[in-house]
Amino acid sequence: MKFLLTFIQLAVLFGFYLLGEWLRALFSLPLPGSIIGFLLLFSALLLKIYPLKWIDSGAHFLLAFLSLYFIPATVGVIDYADVFTGKGVWLLVIAIVSTLLTMAVSAWISQWTARTALQKEGK
Amino acid sequence: MNMHIFLLALLFAGLTTVLYLFLNSQYIKYRWTILNPVLTTTVALVMILLVFDVSYDTYMLGGKWVGELLGPAVVALAVPLYKQWELLRKNLLPIAIGVTAGSIVGLLSGSLLTKLFGFSAEMVLTMLPKSITTPVAMQMAEAFGGIPSLAAVYVMVAGFTGILVGPWLLKTLRIDSSIGRGIGLGSSAHGLGTAKAFEYGPEEASMSSVAMTLSAVVGSFLGPVIVWLFF
Repeated sequence: MKFLLTFIQLAVLFGFYLLGEWLRALFSLPLPGSIIGFLLLFSALLLKIYPLKWIDSGAHFLLAFLSLYFIPATVGVIDYADVFTGKGVWLLVIAIVSTLLTMAVSAWISQWTARTALQKEGK
Repeated sequence: MNMHIFLLALLFAGLTTVLYLFLNSQYIKYRWTILNPVLTTTVALVMILLVFDVSYDTYMLGGKWVGELLGPAVVALAVPLYKQWELLRKNLLPIAIGVTAGSIVGLLSGSLLTKLFGFSAEMVLTMLPKSITTPVAMQMAEAFGGIPSLAAVYVMVAGFTGILVGPWLLKTLRIDSSIGRGIGLGSSAHGLGTAKAFEYGPEEASMSSVAMTLSAVVGSFLGPVIVWLFF
C-alpha cells in the first residue's frame, strides 16, 4: 500500500514537471519546466491547495537519489576532452576560481546580513 | 525503437543506476570527499565507454532516462522547502542579497576572466551561466551565442568544485550557519551543491534549493544585461 502511494505521488511530481514544460512552451518562458513546476508545487503547498501528506513520501523517495540524475549529463565531458588541452586548461582553472568566488561572496554576505539583522532585533 | 536499441538503452540506464547505488554505498561507508558518488560513477562510466569504444550518444540512449528524473526531482525540492518555510520567511532579505550578489559575481568573474585570457567571444559566452542549473544554463548559452553542450560541462565543473572544495572553503571562511552554507552551495554549485547541502541537514538543503532556484531566476534576467553591458 505504502509502495503504491509513493508511486502515485511520483506520478504527481512528473505531472507538475510536465505542466511546467507545457507552460514554458505556451508562454515561451525563459525558465525550464522543472523550475516552473517547482514554483507551482511550492505555491500549491503554501496556499494549502495541495496537502503535504499527498506528496511527502514520493518527494522523499525521489530526492534520496538526487545526485544520480546528474550523472548522464556529467558523463558528457567525454566529448569535450580536447577543449581543455593546452591553453584550454585555463578554462577549467577559470571555472573553478569563479565558482569559489561565487560561493565565498554569496555565503559570506548572506551569513553577515542574517547575523546583523539578528543583532538589531536583539537591541 | 527496435528491440536491439531498447536493450542497449536499458543496459546503460541500468549500469548507471547500479554503479551509482554501489559507489554511493561506499561513499556512505567511508565519507571521504574524493569518493563522492557523482564523481566516482562518472569516472567509472567514462572509463567503461572509452574501453568499449562506446560513443556518448549511444550511452545517452539509456542515460537520458536517468537524466529525465532530474525534472520531477527539481519539482520535489518544493517539499523540503515548504517544510522549512518559517526559517526562510525570517531570512528573506539575507537570502535575496546573498543570492543576487553571488549571481553577479558568478556571471561576471568567469566570463571576464575568459575574455582577459584572450579566448573567443563564443567561449566567453559559454562560460557565463556556469553556476546556474543545467537546463537554464544551456538555454542561456544558446540565447547568447555560446555552445550549450559545453556550457553543461562548465556547469558540471562548477558543481564538482562546489561539492569537493566547497566544504573546505566554507570552513576556512568560518561560514558556520545553515544560511551561509546553504546559500553558498546553491548559488555556486546549483543542484549538485544542493545534493551536498542535504548532508549538512534539512535547513542547509532548503537554503540551497532556494538559492539554486533564485539563481536561475535572477540569472535569466541578469545574464542578458551583463552580455549587453560587457560583451
